Amino acid sequence: MNLRLKQDRSGVSNIIVVVLSLVIVVAIIANIVLWGYGMNQLDWEKMKEEIIITNVERDTEINGTRFIFKNEGALTSHLVSLWIINSTNHQRYDISVFVNSAETTTYLRADIFLPDDQYTVKVVTERGNIAVWSR
Amino acid sequence: MVIAVAAMSIAITATYVITGNLHDTMGERFIVEDVWFTTGKISIYIRNVGKVSIKIATVYIDHTPQSLKPLKLEENKNGWLNVTYSWSHNSVYHINIVTVRGTKVVDYYESPS
Repeated sequence: MNLRLKQDRSGVSNIIVVVLSLVIVVAIIANIVLWGYGMNQLDWEKMKEEIIITNVERDTEINGTRFIFKNEGALTSHLVSLWIINSTNHQRYDISVFVNSAETTTYLRADIFLPDDQYTVKVVTERGNIAVWSR
Repeated sequence: MVIAVAAMSIAITATYVITGNLHDTMGERFIVEDVWFTTGKISIYIRNVGKVSIKIATVYIDHTPQSLKPLKLEENKNGWLNVTYSWSHNSVYHINIVTVRGTKVVDYYESPS
């Protein structure tokens, strides 16, 4: 009688172990599926983003440079890097500019001077898109 | 009972390890902000735009692996990757940047005249 009770309890314990373990495995797999969904969302947002540089010119008032950015995408863009590139130098500047969807933003920098020769301006968004402007 | 615990422990550990690697690989994204050709060197500016830290393992220029100092970038961080390479003017180079986990960014870049 005692032996039979012990065997029954052991069977129940096995089922509890298996069920709990399966719950943990399902939770781990669900986590990876949700992570994948989040990364797809990130890629989708990157595809929807469209930033353009409409003009870059010297600003005599601040004795610096005026940049005009236009957001032609469906989402707000966060600009994080600005590059001024010519044949002798590739200069990068940290920036933090938000441009709402369908809006144009003017960005002034007194510490940036445009080269006299041919140059390229690049702006990089937080999502990883790049807009280029050349003169 | 002991066999059940052992078997399920192995199953949980295996799931955790496999999905852990998958999780990190799926979360890797990086971009090349700039490529600068200077004397005897190609400098590549990389930005980590993913959700995990990345480590650049190798750079292939025209399908040939180049020696470099590994570059590790945390989320939203950026930095220069310098590759010693004797390039020629007015040439197009196929540059392939590969992380330790195998994510790569490949493009053609033209050297200055």
